[in-house]
Amino acid sequence: MRETYKINSTQHLIDAIKDNNSLALKTLYTTNYYKVEAFILKNNGTKEHAKDIFQDAFLALWKNVKQDKFVPQNESSISGYLYTIAKHKWMDYLRSKNYKKTIASSSLIDMDSSDDISDKINDDKINDERLHSVMHAFKVLGMPCKSLLTKFYFEKKSMKDIADELQLDAASTRNKKYRCMQKLREIALNLK
Amino acid sequence: MSQNTNITQELLEFVERCLNKNASVEELQKFETRLQNDSEFRTQVTDIKTLLFGIEAQSLKEKLDDFHDELIEAPSIKTVPIKFMPYRKIAIAAVLVIALGSLWFLSGNSNEKIYAKYFSPDPGLPTMMSETSNFEFYDAMVNYKQGEYTKAIEKWKPLLVNAPKNDTLNYFIGMAQLANKHEKKAIEYFEVVTNLDSSNFKNEAYYYLGLAYLKTDNIELAKKNLTFSTVDNSKKILLELNN
Repeated sequence: MRETYKINSTQHLIDAIKDNNSLALKTLYTTNYYKVEAFILKNNGTKEHAKDIFQDAFLALWKNVKQDKFVPQNESSISGYLYTIAKHKWMDYLRSKNYKKTIASSSLIDMDSSDDISDKINDDKINDERLHSVMHAFKVLGMPCKSLLTKFYFEKKSMKDIADELQLDAASTRNKKYRCMQKLREIALNLK
Repeated sequence: MSQNTNITQELLEFVERCLNKNASVEELQKFETRLQNDSEFRTQVTDIKTLLFGIEAQSLKEKLDDFHDELIEAPSIKTVPIKFMPYRKIAIAAVLVIALGSLWFLSGNSNEKIYAKYFSPDPGLPTMMSETSNFEFYDAMVNYKQGEYTKAIEKWKPLLVNAPKNDTLNYFIGMAQLANKHEKKAIEYFEVVTNLDSSNFKNEAYYYLGLAYLKTDNIELAKKNLTFSTVDNSKKILLELNN
């Protein structure tokens, strides 16, 4: 009985992802989660692990679709991609020092890591670092700016709609937006 | 990100227009030329791109928990088949089954008690028999108010065909199902309401959905739904459940 987002072509889905269409993203999330959870539970993980890993993978998928690093051929290739990223992230975690301290490595199930996706995920290290400082800066940015910038860049609302909401004229809204961007940039620069 | 470059408002808006393909042909040409010849400009454009992408990425990241809450209950996953079970393990398993069984039995009882203490059906809507278009709806409401829940459900259900997501209908059918002790059916209808973007019944629907889950001994979902409701009793039930 749930609302489902029907996509009649892959291109629509790609566009919806790029436009941050909430319903499309939510559907993508809810229809793919349990497959990943099952994999992680089967391989020494908990539900919390599954949630963290899946969310990381989901964000990676979104980033790669946005930047055309991954161009899905059809809906199932998106699911497959998501699953593969999650699998790799989980394997990385299992191999990490933190984990090996607590669990004998012999209990790990042998998993194949020769997939080519892991290379693609890691090929953008420098950019990723900068991106992370901006993301962190945005996380701690004050609420008025955060909400304004979210409406503008994530929800992609029009300048007019945002100005109406704030009861400001277009020029003041644009100026406010600019000052918020400056603030964000400042925080990000100081984080480095 | 570069420390020593200043991005003015004009520059930011110009670059944004070009990146979003909202710029004029001349502007785009200017943009391309500067990108090729002006290294400071290139840095500024990269900075702006990173800022825009970071805002979107973090916004999405903060939304993921909301998506997570929308997951429907996990299907039971059976993974490792057990081929061999020595006696001792069987003994331990038996003890566990008995322990969990009695725990379930006991908790089931206290859940029922809490449910019985707090459940009273929604009083219903005032009936307006003059409104002919909604005659069937209010006719059933009369039955509902008189406690004839089965009759009310029979009359309401056909109305759903034309309005499967109508909040009022789903809410009251769910209510009647719950009052009729059909908790599982009630859950289906309440969930239609709680999944809507907005509805006047959402708050109450979460409350009764929580109660329905409580009655079916699904404590986790009961708690989750009750936390979404601001109905006074929600908090009281949550307190009792946590004690």
